[in-house]
Amino acid sequence: MSVLEIVSTGLLAAGCFFYLAGTIGLLRFPDVHSRLHALTKADNVGLFLVCLALTLLGESLRVALLLLLIWLLGLLAATVSCHLIARHSIRRKGGRSG
Amino acid sequence: MNTALSLAVIFLIINLAAGLVRVARGPSPEDRMLAALLFGSTTVAVLLILAQLMEIPALRDVALLFGLLAAIISVAFVALPADHDRDEEDSWR
Amino acid sequence: MGISLVIDVLLALGLVGLALQVVAGPSLFRSIVLFVVFGLVMALAWARLHAPDLAMAEAAIGAGITGALLLMTYRRLVELNPEKRGETYLGSRWLAAPVGVLTGVLVGLIGWAALQLPPGDTTAGTLARDALDETGVSNPVTGVLLVFRGYDTLLEMGVLLLAFLGARAVASGRAHSPGTSEVSEPALVGALLSLVVPLTILVGIYLLRAGGHAPGGAFQAGAVLAAGGVLLSLTGRLVPTDHTPLVQRLVLVLGLLVFSGMGLFMLFAGSAMLSLPGTWAIYLVETALMISIALPLALLFAQAPGLKGRGH
Repeated sequence: MSVLEIVSTGLLAAGCFFYLAGTIGLLRFPDVHSRLHALTKADNVGLFLVCLALTLLGESLRVALLLLLIWLLGLLAATVSCHLIARHSIRRKGGRSG
Repeated sequence: MNTALSLAVIFLIINLAAGLVRVARGPSPEDRMLAALLFGSTTVAVLLILAQLMEIPALRDVALLFGLLAAIISVAFVALPADHDRDEEDSWR
Repeated sequence: MGISLVIDVLLALGLVGLALQVVAGPSLFRSIVLFVVFGLVMALAWARLHAPDLAMAEAAIGAGITGALLLMTYRRLVELNPEKRGETYLGSRWLAAPVGVLTGVLVGLIGWAALQLPPGDTTAGTLARDALDETGVSNPVTGVLLVFRGYDTLLEMGVLLLAFLGARAVASGRAHSPGTSEVSEPALVGALLSLVVPLTILVGIYLLRAGGHAPGGAFQAGAVLAAGGVLLSLTGRLVPTDHTPLVQRLVLVLGLLVFSGMGLFMLFAGSAMLSLPGTWAIYLVETALMISIALPLALLFAQAPGLKGRGH
């Protein structure tokens, strides 16, 4: 394997580690808000590392930019989802969330 | 390299299955909505790796689609009636 | 290919497990969430089967739009029957085993028949692939959809129009806005819309254009646009009208009109009905199909005869 592939594999492994961390948080944390926290943060970093690993393997600039766009979109989706779900949880329990 | 990519895919799918436990158990509906979050992000990663592994560049377009839809589905999830009368965790099971 | 087999076996097991949970689960909301997940895993399965077009369609229509429709239906049901919130439909349980066995036998038969197919030159697929150059597109899926099996696509547009008309016929008559109107909206939603909606339009047009030579096409593009419409409807930026405006009526039938118009014109011009005279014709028909798919889907979701902007 070339140096590029070794670095890429390392990044891939790191990304998988972060996904694992997110899932552990999802299963082990005590309530919705902490689970949201674990999931969004860890999965976003995991996706970033995976995208980075694949950018190194990709053939062209177009692929790199597309991967960047996909990661940003994932970031956006995760951010909004997290906020809306947390808000929904608070409202459903009768609190005020501003 | 392909081995590493395949192993990553297998790992992420197992990750997905583990996250499903949270969907199945709940207890609150928001816990189940978390699944949408997890699945969106993980399936995008799996698709991107598969695009490289199987040499199908179109799978990146599919991943782009997933990203768009994840945002929309999460808004659809929370447009649900929020009942302020009582705590309803049991009845949402 | 040992490792690839592991991936495929995991996906297959996941699909079966999810399907079981959707159908036999104790709570309706849980089943809906798992159904959306099922759609996503199914899209992964299509990807593994080298079918990106199907993966796109499954994600956009199966997981995205159908999931949103199910959630809205659930919301409506809860509004109508608040006391039955946690119930699922406990139908005739004794049917489950016979139906399951029958389905299993059917699937087994189909699989066995597929394995018996003669390989190579005599199948329709090979003939179509060889004739692909004459169609003017290089994506075989688009070639089949618009040229070799054009009638199929034409009639599917008819089905979609009929579905919309049927939904209108049974509608309760009052305009019902599915957006969250009582609660104040977080600022994040406006920001999300300003980013996602233009991106939706861009991705839709890109998929349409890419359909000629890469996975994509009218159905996927239309589904993406419909998803954008669903988002606008959910956040209250698009509200229902009382009657269908004229422009929207035109758009609803545009796909059918353009496709059959083109086909009839070709008939009178001497070649076969529904043959398309070139790549430009394919793109024209596909564009008409795209908006004719997007609008009824969005209207079905909004439970409305038409849509207009919030301020009007």
